Amino acid sequence: MDLVRFFAKRFLRLLLTVFIISTLIFFVIRIIPGDPALIIAGVDATAEDIQIIREKLGTDRSLPMQYLGWLYSILRFDFGNSMISGEPVTKLIFERFPLTLTLALMGIAIGILVAIPLGVMSAVKRWSLWDYFGLVFSQAGMAIPSFWLGMVLLLLFAVKIPIFPLFGSESFAHYILPALSLGFGRAAVILRLARASMVEELSKEYVITARAKGLTERMVKYKHALKNALLPVITITGIELGYMLGGAIIIEQVFSLPGLGRLFLFGIYQRDFTLIQGGVVFVAIVFSMINFLADILYSVVNPKIRVE
Amino acid sequence: MKKRIILSLLVLALVFATGSAFAQGKGILNFGLSGNPDTLDPHKTSGTLTFQVLKSFYDTLIEPDTKGNLVPALAESWTASADSKTWTFKLRKDVVFHNGQKFSAKDVKATFERIKAKETASPKASEFAVIANIATPDDYTVVFTLSSAYTPLLASLASGWGAILPAELIAAGHNFASEPVGTGPFKFEKWVRDNKITMARNDNYWMKGLPKLLAVEFNIIPERAVQVQGLLSGAIEAVEFVDPEDLPVFEGNNKVVIKKELSSLIMVMGINHSRAPLDDLRVRQAISYAIDKQTVMDVAYGGGKVGHTFMDTGNAYYTDFPYYSYNPEKAKALLKEAGVGNKEFTIAVPQNYALHVKAAELYQQMLEKVGMNVKLQLVDWSTWLSSVYSGGNYDLTVTGHTGKLDPDGTLAGYGGGKYVKWMNAPVLEKIKKAVTISDFAERKKLYTEVLDTMAKELPHFYLGTSYRYGATRSNVVDFRMTPNIDTFDFRWTELK
Repeated sequence: MDLVRFFAKRFLRLLLTVFIISTLIFFVIRIIPGDPALIIAGVDATAEDIQIIREKLGTDRSLPMQYLGWLYSILRFDFGNSMISGEPVTKLIFERFPLTLTLALMGIAIGILVAIPLGVMSAVKRWSLWDYFGLVFSQAGMAIPSFWLGMVLLLLFAVKIPIFPLFGSESFAHYILPALSLGFGRAAVILRLARASMVEELSKEYVITARAKGLTERMVKYKHALKNALLPVITITGIELGYMLGGAIIIEQVFSLPGLGRLFLFGIYQRDFTLIQGGVVFVAIVFSMINFLADILYSVVNPKIRVE
Repeated sequence: MKKRIILSLLVLALVFATGSAFAQGKGILNFGLSGNPDTLDPHKTSGTLTFQVLKSFYDTLIEPDTKGNLVPALAESWTASADSKTWTFKLRKDVVFHNGQKFSAKDVKATFERIKAKETASPKASEFAVIANIATPDDYTVVFTLSSAYTPLLASLASGWGAILPAELIAAGHNFASEPVGTGPFKFEKWVRDNKITMARNDNYWMKGLPKLLAVEFNIIPERAVQVQGLLSGAIEAVEFVDPEDLPVFEGNNKVVIKKELSSLIMVMGINHSRAPLDDLRVRQAISYAIDKQTVMDVAYGGGKVGHTFMDTGNAYYTDFPYYSYNPEKAKALLKEAGVGNKEFTIAVPQNYALHVKAAELYQQMLEKVGMNVKLQLVDWSTWLSSVYSGGNYDLTVTGHTGKLDPDGTLAGYGGGKYVKWMNAPVLEKIKKAVTISDFAERKKLYTEVLDTMAKELPHFYLGTSYRYGATRSNVVDFRMTPNIDTFDFRWTELK
């Protein structure tokens, strides 16, 4: 029963979040300067041409009318057509989503595989060589911008030693360098957190109790402390994953990948209102769902959370 | 038996792993394109990059050659009545659309009716507004009746937005935006948005023996450095243009050929006449005197031909009017005389055009040297279009006007405001009158008067026309550009 209420509450929260965010974005993109009709029309069109385009797009109507129209259509799960290309927004998003999902999952996997062992080792063997390596790695990971890393990887492994393709997205090989550049930065963040959180857990009283009980050091560290230390790591990993599912604009740009990031970026450049709205709702849903999943994972690791 | 199956599976896997085997063959040109087209429907866009791609899918009744002269394409010949109000086009009889349907007069009629229809909301509709009636006396004759004489119509018919679509598909509401069907030299194969557009040779193309390439792949590569590396490594064989800053990379490289030609861009700094003291001719003259045009051209735009009026310097209608050559002392004196003082001016620049941004920085320095107080403001392209170009919220703005097949495309509306808010009734009248004249010499006389006034009155500051640097691998033969519309043409291109 508790579980059902928990899910229901979460689901309502998701709906409310999506509603608030979509309303905000609807007005924000219309308040900032820019007009999709002018992008379509270009610099040579006459005022009449522009007016006809506005009428076709529906942007000649009053703001409340446009808003109500949009609310009505999203309630029927109709996100409309892109104002610039005329293609259905859902089609445009789902065309790109597999690539973005693959890239995000690979990036986060690389991040976790590097960060958690390294972070935990750093915490367990504090001020050891491991720890220093971890510190330098995370410093570098946070300081190095991903576009620079991407560019360097591309120049090294696609130009100097051409083992990876320079552009395109047809094969698995196309994803490796971008996933590495993405994962590096994620690893740095997760590593930091894993270390800090593990250090904190190890200093807690239950660890002393566990040791006093005569549990092996292995049990104490890797069963009791690690389990608790992973909780904040799950949250952050979830948030990072959520960000990446909205597209990794810079990485997509450097590696010429057709992901969600470039779709949304050009949507914003071109003031493609319907595309931006659909995109934001999509990202909000994905984000909320990931948070939701992280919460479930959380409650699996620590059932006490659920009751709260 | 089992071995053979495994072997063929392995081969299959290899084929998939290396992309498609097809893409590795000879006669397939890999092209580096910097952005994604908005749409593949020629009647619903105004983007230059979009038309560059569409040129291979569609044909027009007439078309510009590489020098900008209008030559026959789907129309073999055309004649105008004495009053220039009736145009008769004789169509080719050997043209077939990509879907196998024969091209005839009904397609021409349906095409222009589509462009003019309100539901289409074509940004170019008003260019064809003058067409009052389209008659098709027989299958291969089309007669346009115009409401008034209008010479620039020929240029519109030859532009990408005059692309002819098949009547049956228009009637069926076909989605040309994602599945183009035309009569062009290449057939559409596939478009992975923001990634790749593939097109294959149209074996039934009406120009015999053309196109020579088997296929063209447009690889959409937004990052300049990656395009450059692609050219160097041979992963791509041609690009639309190379940034002047990247030219040193190709020096001494015999695998990449750089082709330098005069573009048809008119580089200007727009001056908002509705904002005092920019309405004072002395201030505009001072701006012109203060700027060393050749330096800006060389440093910001990679060189070019300096100009002094509102027409690209390579255009047949261009005349040089060097009224205000570089003279900072004169600029200072004029500013003082006009009492400009320490008033702040802002130069608005679209930030996505790195070359304009560089030019704006140079303008700022040069204007500050003669005592003007100048700030830069970077805006995104959408903001520039709505606030600056349409809204008139700016003092000065740096931009480049693209080339046109007809001078009216450049000049229409000037003297009546436009984004520079410059009012000059005689100029406006002359430009309006020029569209009714078909004789070149007579038109040129009128336009020369207009350009002379603009050179004197300075609705913009005129810099001139820059070079464009095209680049191909050395094995690419006859990759042509039509500078007047900034579009490339793959029909004659071969790979050696």
